[in-house]
Amino acid sequence: MAPTEKTDLLQGTLDMLILKIVALGPVHGYGISQRIRQISKEVLNVQQGSLYPALHRLEKRGWLSAEWGDSENGREAKFYKLSAKGRRQLAQEEASWNRLSEAVELILGAAQQEA
Amino acid sequence: MSWNPFRKSPRDPEFDREIAFHIDELTRAGIAQGLSPEEARRRAILEFGGREQVKQQVREVHTSPLLETLAFNFRAALRFLRRSPSFSAAVILTLALGIGANSAVFSAIDAVVLRPLPYPNGDQLVQINQHDTRNRDANTSVAPQRLEDWNRMSSTFSGISGYYTDDLSEISGPLPERLTMALVAPRFLDVLEVPPVLGRNFTRDEFHFGGPAAVIISNHLWQRRFAGDPAILTKKLRFGAYSWSIVGVMPASFAFPNRDIDLWAPSPPDAPYAQRRDATWFTVFGRMKSGVTFAHAQADMATVQSRLGQQFPKPDADLTVQSAPLKETIVSEVRDSLWLLYGSVTLLLLIACSNIAALLLARTADREHEISIRFSLGASRRAIVGQLLTEVFALALLGSLLGLAIAAGATRAFHLLANTLPRASEINLNPTIVLYSLLCAVATTLLCGLFPALRGTRRDLAHSLAQTGRTQTSARNPLQWFLVAVQVTLAVTLLTGAGLLLRSLQQLSRVHPGFDPSHVLTFQISGSWGETADMPALNRRIDSTLDTIRTIPGVQSAATSAILPGIPSLYQVEFNLDGSLDPNRKILADNRWVSWGYFDTTAIPLLQGEACRRGGPPSDVLVNRAFASLYLSGAALGHNIAAAAYNDFSTKGQIRGVVGDAREAGLNLAPVPTVYSCYSAPTPFPNFLVRTHGDPMAMAETIRRSIHQIDPARSVYAMMPLEQHLDEAYSGNRLRTVLLALFAATAVSLASIGLYGTLNYLGRMRQREVGVRLALGAARSRIVTQFLFQGLRVTLIGCVAGLALSLATGRLIAGMLYGVSPLDPITYIAVLVLILAVATAASLFPAWRAARVDPVQILRQE
Repeated sequence: MAPTEKTDLLQGTLDMLILKIVALGPVHGYGISQRIRQISKEVLNVQQGSLYPALHRLEKRGWLSAEWGDSENGREAKFYKLSAKGRRQLAQEEASWNRLSEAVELILGAAQQEA
Repeated sequence: MSWNPFRKSPRDPEFDREIAFHIDELTRAGIAQGLSPEEARRRAILEFGGREQVKQQVREVHTSPLLETLAFNFRAALRFLRRSPSFSAAVILTLALGIGANSAVFSAIDAVVLRPLPYPNGDQLVQINQHDTRNRDANTSVAPQRLEDWNRMSSTFSGISGYYTDDLSEISGPLPERLTMALVAPRFLDVLEVPPVLGRNFTRDEFHFGGPAAVIISNHLWQRRFAGDPAILTKKLRFGAYSWSIVGVMPASFAFPNRDIDLWAPSPPDAPYAQRRDATWFTVFGRMKSGVTFAHAQADMATVQSRLGQQFPKPDADLTVQSAPLKETIVSEVRDSLWLLYGSVTLLLLIACSNIAALLLARTADREHEISIRFSLGASRRAIVGQLLTEVFALALLGSLLGLAIAAGATRAFHLLANTLPRASEINLNPTIVLYSLLCAVATTLLCGLFPALRGTRRDLAHSLAQTGRTQTSARNPLQWFLVAVQVTLAVTLLTGAGLLLRSLQQLSRVHPGFDPSHVLTFQISGSWGETADMPALNRRIDSTLDTIRTIPGVQSAATSAILPGIPSLYQVEFNLDGSLDPNRKILADNRWVSWGYFDTTAIPLLQGEACRRGGPPSDVLVNRAFASLYLSGAALGHNIAAAAYNDFSTKGQIRGVVGDAREAGLNLAPVPTVYSCYSAPTPFPNFLVRTHGDPMAMAETIRRSIHQIDPARSVYAMMPLEQHLDEAYSGNRLRTVLLALFAATAVSLASIGLYGTLNYLGRMRQREVGVRLALGAARSRIVTQFLFQGLRVTLIGCVAGLALSLATGRLIAGMLYGVSPLDPITYIAVLVLILAVATAASLFPAWRAARVDPVQILRQE
């Protein structure tokens, strides 16, 4: 497996991505890392050393709930689900992310015009 | 200690399964891409990365780092403290005493002064007194009619009620037992908002004259007399000719107006004998409506009374209303004493803190090496300070736990010792006190620990790692000397306070009271206010009782008086002489009611004229020498005298004799002008005074039996020598003085321990210097005096500061002093001499030891 290009995630962004993925339906840790990679077209590759502490942190904050269930190939896996509190948090983070990225784009656009 | 910060958390196995699943899935994906199972698994494990690291990170998510560090620091601190047990024990004990004494006094302040009275919204309760503008310090009780007027006319009170107490003789036992009854005005329990725990409150009918006779009994009486019988409400109580239905039982916590009350009964305001406006019966209290301020209520009552003054010019025009929060009337006497004690124990705790701070300073200096190693291993200053503070906190916590045990013991002592302390039974160890002593622990930690820790971890200390084990502490150490000076200052302040109080007691005991309290037995015989309906009969009863007592062998003389001589009580009344009232010159005098034989019994000498006579008219009046010389230039006999505010019960008559001055209104008051009215029965239960030939208590049983023979329905109570009464009246002073002296002694010993320890430490630090000087030929005696003077200089500075502080605070205890000025030079000099002597003693040994260095050994170390 070729090591993918490493892109540093902004602080706190990983939490939002995880919440977003989990919002699509109950999913285990391996599934989350796979989906982030697939959806980002292999740009983002989350290290397990970041993923699992983040998952446990979100669970502790009550944004995710977890329970053990059977995976698609019959193995027992820990599935994460978005809680109502997590849904609110996700909406908030998405809104502020959109504001931020619009602002960044405005600046980048302006800089290009100047150049 | 088997604590391992990397121990497995209980979540680990679950997380292992989560990881295993992830790696399996990665492996499966590898196989799907065509790798061999072994290769796929190897790559999967590689991709997953450091498994232990991930696990540790997940663990950290689930632990709180702050708590973890705290726990770790705490365990390290305990380990460290166990390594130096004597140091730890000394600090813990000092703090235990300091915090314990502080918490104990605080528990008393909390219960007596700070907490509201144990009635719902107790802060709304106000005592309302009437004051006759023409008499001073006189009777403040209120007529039943006026009480009803106040209740009806006031707009700021939701209800006003009152009570007075009366004695009953309960006669079912072998000897009559005295019960105390509170006769209460309507609305009594409604104003207090405390319902009976069993049964009901009084009804409207029961407050009508001639209505059903009902009583509510105290929980105490219910348990004592009826063994808590649940069928109590069907019973009746019989006292002599009367019988009452028991309609209710009060809760055990209810003790109003005081603990001694056994029964409450209605006092009907429409009774024919309750119609006079100059009768003074009730102690009155009311509940302010919610939202009404005390000032507002006071203004309202003043308006109400001035309207009554217009309506009933005599006597209401002469009356004003004075009120005070009910709590104030209960605790005001002891509040100052309690705050004084609290101030003293707080000074004591401060001394203990500075003592411990000095010890810690010395210790952190000793630990320089350890601290610099930790610095060089990369510990942050904050971490090291945290560790040092945790050590102190561990000590303070242990100290405050031990202190709590001391405080718990002290609350029990309060119940026993301070039976005159109001609300003493409410003092207990409760969560507030526990919290308070924990706060003390935190405060002491910061006070004693912060400075030594910051100083001990100054960055430049890291350089000392470069040096050898030889210590290079500055020998001057101004900070340690400062702490010693602070201790001396505080100790001097406490000692001066205690000294002044001791001198007051000494002065008080030297006073010649003008009467002779020895060989006098006192007691009371139960009576009832109902007897005042026939005053001549009441007088005849008291007189014949006096006759009986006088015939008992061993009795020299006997008399009655309204108030015992020497017990603090001033009943100042305005008089007019020979029918004229001089508006420019008020004639004020303490008015005392005494029977025939009073002056023989108390040994107050008769100077002119004659004393009260048996069966003489109530118009016989005597005055003391102070009155005669102040108001009548010594020639008092034959003048007519009458109370200015005249009613049936007030004094009016002719001066028939002059007696010597005596401190009857209080041993601590110079004799005041006094008017004696000759009257055997000023109340139905006057104080009997019996002068005996031998030990007064030896006569007690004989007298009790003789009275039982002539009057089997009456009980004799409060039998004790007059000297014991006087003792108890001033025991509050004594207790306060003894406690303060105890605190001062502790403070002085703490300060001298501080001086000793600092000088000792200094001697150790300066060993090399002393050794070199000795080797160069310095005399040992010179070194001893040098150290000694260093100790004494600091002591002197502390003394000067302490005396200045005492001068500044002397005002605070001026009110508690008798016969000494707060600037009493004798006390100040004695304190100075004592402190210097103790300081010299504390400095001598360390100074001597510092000079006993062997120069050869020191030079060898160089």
